[in-house]
Amino acid sequence: MKRTIALIAGMTVLGTTMLLHAESVSDKRGLTLEGAKTVIAATVAEAKRLNAPGASIAVVDEGGTLLAVERLDQTFAASANIAIGKARTSALFKKPTKVFEDVIKGGRTSMVTLGGDLQNFTPLQGGVPLEWEGKVVGAIGVSGAASAQQDEELAVVGARSLDSMETAEMTNGRTPLPVIYIDSQKVAAAFAKGAVLVGEAETMMHTARNYMVHASHRDKAGVVEIHEHDTDIVYVLKGSAQLITGGTPVGAKTVAPHEFRAPSVIGGDTRRLVPGDVVIIPNGVPHWFKEVEAPFDYYVVKVR
Amino acid sequence: MVRTILSVAMTMAVAAGTAQAQLIEKTALTLQGAKQIAAAAESRANVEGARVVIAVVDDGGNLLLLERLDDTQVASVNVGIDKARTAAIYRRPSRVFEEQVKNGRVSALALHGAAALQGGVPITVEGTVIGAIGVSGETPQQDEEIALAGAAVAASFTK
Repeated sequence: MKRTIALIAGMTVLGTTMLLHAESVSDKRGLTLEGAKTVIAATVAEAKRLNAPGASIAVVDEGGTLLAVERLDQTFAASANIAIGKARTSALFKKPTKVFEDVIKGGRTSMVTLGGDLQNFTPLQGGVPLEWEGKVVGAIGVSGAASAQQDEELAVVGARSLDSMETAEMTNGRTPLPVIYIDSQKVAAAFAKGAVLVGEAETMMHTARNYMVHASHRDKAGVVEIHEHDTDIVYVLKGSAQLITGGTPVGAKTVAPHEFRAPSVIGGDTRRLVPGDVVIIPNGVPHWFKEVEAPFDYYVVKVR
Repeated sequence: MVRTILSVAMTMAVAAGTAQAQLIEKTALTLQGAKQIAAAAESRANVEGARVVIAVVDDGGNLLLLERLDDTQVASVNVGIDKARTAAIYRRPSRVFEEQVKNGRVSALALHGAAALQGGVPITVEGTVIGAIGVSGETPQQDEEIALAGAAVAASFTK
């Protein structure tokens, strides 16, 4: 067991050159100016929603260096530097600055000298790390709102806006479609006569999806089918059939947009399908269930 | 874009008849105005492929807005702010001090709060300095050209 794991691990390392490089350098995600601006915009929106008297919002990278800062109108001038200090402190310690304020308030006064060589050490509530995929990529600092508490509330909202960007990236900016569940009885009923399990018959494909699923059932031979756009992924469940793929269709007709049918085909490859077989028929390839031993049931995923 | 601090003056005028002599009207740069200036500088920088920090300060030399374009050297953050503050509080391009030093007036380096480095330009509305923009990251000339492209937007500002 141990040896197997070692072997697999070793082979993976050999197969993946990136891992070899990982020994001397590593990949790092960095916040862009665009990302910083989005975080600031979300924070400003929250400040307006809460009717905050003002706010300076600073975003720094993971090295604590300023990426962007905005001081809202009427906010006291010193707040910009305080916001930068909070953000810098939060990024360099990968912690909310509230942690330091609380420790100092709790009696550990010597913590105020922690700054030392660090420029702008600011142990004041209102700095929050910015995380991407669980790693700190920077921090946001807010100063100049109604209270230290509100400074932090605004910073937290700004930091969360990065989370929603992360989610948006994972889902390509769209809300994921709902999960589809079809219980076994409905599936069995669909196979009994052959039916579309998922997808719209009229347009072939649901507008939001690029696939449809058929519970296909045949009692007798079909005709030659050519789908201009749809690839058929077939899994045979019951019965047997002779499948001819490829060749040149004879007397083809358009039966629906992008859908062609023909009574026969010249040439092509012949295969005998039995339960358990999988066949993938790319779009544009003529295919024909020429002889069928009924009932012939097969599950089809059509991909566009 | 710019806001006149007029209400204060008027309130004081009502309170005391002679108040107008003790107060002046001041035009202040808003965050919105600062954003427009930075946006113009940013698009100029992007055209040239310049990697720079753009800092906008108010008339007191205090930071209003800063943008570090992607892949800009991090040291430029402080240099950009310094250039902007210099141009704001001395109400002239920071290049003036760099030239003075170059021409032999080394003591210009002792000017309090000034960075004798080209790239800081005042933002002016109707002849009054209301703030400044500082740019750092490329050559001194390029930094200043980008700053000028930003500051030029102020010509369109209305109260």
